[in-house]
Amino acid sequence: MATRLQFENSCEVGVFSKLTNAYCLVSIGGSENFYSTFEAELADVIPVVKTSIGGTRIIGRLCAGNKNGLLLPHTTTDQELQHLRNSLPDHVVVQRIEERLSALGNCIACNDHVALTHTDLDRETEEMIADVLGVEVFRQTIAGNILVGSYCAFTNRGGMVHPHTSVEDLDELSTLLQVPLVAGTVNRGSEVIAAGMTVNDWTAFCGSDTTATELSVIESVFKLREAQPSAIVDEMRKSLIDSYV
Amino acid sequence: MVQYNFKKMTVVPSGKDFIDIILSRTQRQTPTVVHKGYAISRLRQFYMRKVKYTQQNFHEKLSTIIDEFPRLDDIHPFYGDLLHVLYNKDHYKLALGQINTARNLIGKISKDYVKLLKYGDSLYRCKCLKVAALGRMCTVIKRIGPSLAYLEQIRQHMARLPSIDPNTRTVLICGYPNVGKSSFINKITRADVDVQPYAFTTKSLFVGHTDYKYLRYQVIDTPGILDRPFEDRNIIEMCSITALAHLRAAVLFFLDISGSCGYSIAQQAALFHSIKSLFMNKPLIIVCNKTDLQPLEGISEEDKKLVTEMKAEAMKTVIGQGGEATNDEGVLLTMSTLTEEGVIAVKNAACERLLNQRVELKMKSKKINDCLNRFHVAMPKPRDNKERPPCIPQAVLEAKAKQAAEKEKRNTERDLENENGGAGVYSASLKKNYILANDEWKEDVMPEILDGHNIYDFVDPDILHRLEELEREEGHRQAEEGDDDFEMDGLELTPEEQKTLAEIRKKKSLLIQQHRIKKSTAESRPTVPRKFDKDRKFTTKRMGRQLSKLGLDPTKAINRARSRSVSTRGRKRERSLDRDDTDGGDAMDVDTPNKKQRMLSRSRSRSRSRPPTEVVPGEGFKDSAQKAKALQKANKSNKMRNKNARRGEADRVIPTLKPKHLFSGKRSIGKTQRR
Repeated sequence: MATRLQFENSCEVGVFSKLTNAYCLVSIGGSENFYSTFEAELADVIPVVKTSIGGTRIIGRLCAGNKNGLLLPHTTTDQELQHLRNSLPDHVVVQRIEERLSALGNCIACNDHVALTHTDLDRETEEMIADVLGVEVFRQTIAGNILVGSYCAFTNRGGMVHPHTSVEDLDELSTLLQVPLVAGTVNRGSEVIAAGMTVNDWTAFCGSDTTATELSVIESVFKLREAQPSAIVDEMRKSLIDSYV
Repeated sequence: MVQYNFKKMTVVPSGKDFIDIILSRTQRQTPTVVHKGYAISRLRQFYMRKVKYTQQNFHEKLSTIIDEFPRLDDIHPFYGDLLHVLYNKDHYKLALGQINTARNLIGKISKDYVKLLKYGDSLYRCKCLKVAALGRMCTVIKRIGPSLAYLEQIRQHMARLPSIDPNTRTVLICGYPNVGKSSFINKITRADVDVQPYAFTTKSLFVGHTDYKYLRYQVIDTPGILDRPFEDRNIIEMCSITALAHLRAAVLFFLDISGSCGYSIAQQAALFHSIKSLFMNKPLIIVCNKTDLQPLEGISEEDKKLVTEMKAEAMKTVIGQGGEATNDEGVLLTMSTLTEEGVIAVKNAACERLLNQRVELKMKSKKINDCLNRFHVAMPKPRDNKERPPCIPQAVLEAKAKQAAEKEKRNTERDLENENGGAGVYSASLKKNYILANDEWKEDVMPEILDGHNIYDFVDPDILHRLEELEREEGHRQAEEGDDDFEMDGLELTPEEQKTLAEIRKKKSLLIQQHRIKKSTAESRPTVPRKFDKDRKFTTKRMGRQLSKLGLDPTKAINRARSRSVSTRGRKRERSLDRDDTDGGDAMDVDTPNKKQRMLSRSRSRSRSRPPTEVVPGEGFKDSAQKAKALQKANKSNKMRNKNARRGEADRVIPTLKPKHLFSGKRSIGKTQRR
């Protein structure tokens, strides 16, 4: 199920939250509205943790993780690290890494099995990703953008990438990731997919600017609510053509 | 994308207001003080400025009016025609033309009078010229007063026009008056159009919006049309005709088959045929309304024939778009807005056909190639045999199953926040949801820094585990040590070997000694001059050894030598007595356990620093007096010179606040603003 929400009048919800299959991180805002939207949806199943990273609220862009682990940038303070270790279940490995590119969320995109990374990431970081997150790591670009973490979002069931990704690239990436992929937008045409939404295997949260068409594409490709990716080429094709062209 | 928004046009002031606005601005924003004693060039310049400034303001204001009113030829033909129908193109153009002429006239007046002002020879004449110039400008504006009033009226009317986007997906409803067009739009949108049981309730276009297949459709309700020659149609009907002619929309032709609207089916069919040229290339649907009064099957044979004729005509629109002619679905539909029977079917059919047509058109356009990747779902080809299953917790699946039944509402943080004073007042604890072995630990306070060390540098999640491992390892080692205790023992050696060992040890210690001597620092300065002691063999220790060999007590001699040594002055502090010796020792700990802890956490104290004049070996001073002198000299050389007490930039200065020459008497040339 996909939910539309806002973080303090900003639709970039993927910037202010990090959702995985084992936990959800939410940044600390002025009111509890943002947190409670996640809480109502998820708190029965996985821990929803309010935190900052390095004193900032842009946690979604700074950290990368999946159900196995959580990677934090070197800017994370000891207190935040301890807070996260206390709040997350023991089987989630929380690791702070010394990587020059500290916005890990922008540089790493991953599900529970595969990760795409920025091409300039250190070799040690790459090993760390493989160890902590338990994934295969591929250095990739998406439609010429090296910030793979910003321009794509994928789970174990499907994924969405930058709208300018060519058909060949889509097929190649799909084979790498072993999930169906589609090129699309969120937040009324925003290309930064991961900034506009945050998603796991059974639920998604999108910015409140997301249109009905975008939302239905998201629901289909991530297989939320019994929809299937094939719906995009079948039932929704006409609507998509009329709205894009 | 062109957006037609007539709501943001600036207000057109009436002629009188216009003049007031401009003149008061001139008065406020140009200089007002003038004296007849001024030089004539200055006087001329003063009045010229007023005339020019007024002209500029008039020009600006009139230009905004001309620019902001849409030019009927440049905007979308739908709006062009609609504005023509509503306001009459000629009248509209004439009004704008008059504004333009006025603008030019004012420009010319200003030019003329500025020229005349150049010949003005006194303050009085210049002033008269200015008055005449402004007066003539105002007369020009007064003359275009009616045009301004007309434009203001039009502006107000235009601001109230519905914001119709001529290029988006549109469903257009048309038909005779009173056939149920407005009832239909009220059913499928939230437009809330007034519905009354008499003809021409709807007098202008109304817009509502509806959704179909994730897309938004604009639904336009038009006033009813009567079947009469084009020229005889009134403005209200012409609005409908304009919309029909220019909007590429799905057209719903409403037919009242019960005849309760006051027009027979034959009359309505005649209207259909007279305006059918407007339906070209548009998906057309004939909607038989009011089936609750009269079902379609129940109408007379003649009427049935008329309806089939119309249906055949409508079928052409299907063929026209290249679809299958056999498919007559969604061409003739029946519904009743009263019972809401068939309403949604009509809406869906209209939207579907419009969408099909638009998609077909767009598929032919070039732009489709840029978007092809977005209609493609890349399905993965298997690259290995690894299973990559999704990870959905059991609880989610259960919750989903339960959701159908009933989901109990969770008491969220937001509810707590609202109960406890709202946002900004309520502050949620971050530690509330910690997952720890013992819930009581949640609120434990943990220091950040202890004994000058960052606690978190020493935090290790599995420290207990490791400690246990280490202890086990140590136990092993101790057990092993008990087994084979290996140590060099003199007892197990033969006398010869013992001798060699002793020699080896002696040699070793000698080497170490010599090495230490070589490394000797300033503390072991020679008392014997260097030239006699090249190898640095003359040490107090050696002296002591030699003396004791002779059977003398060397301590005194050694102490004396040390006291004469240069290095005594810089000698390190002797090791102080042990603290344990001074205080009570272990016995004290029992009574004051806190004291020890505090001592542990106390930061390391700083040792006493030396006075600056104390001589440290290696600095090269004879005594502290010499050092003090040297220090003083060095400080003096570093000191900034005072430059013989001359004025410097750091000095405080108060400049002359009122220079006399600028504040007394009248100046031949000078600036007024300095006064």
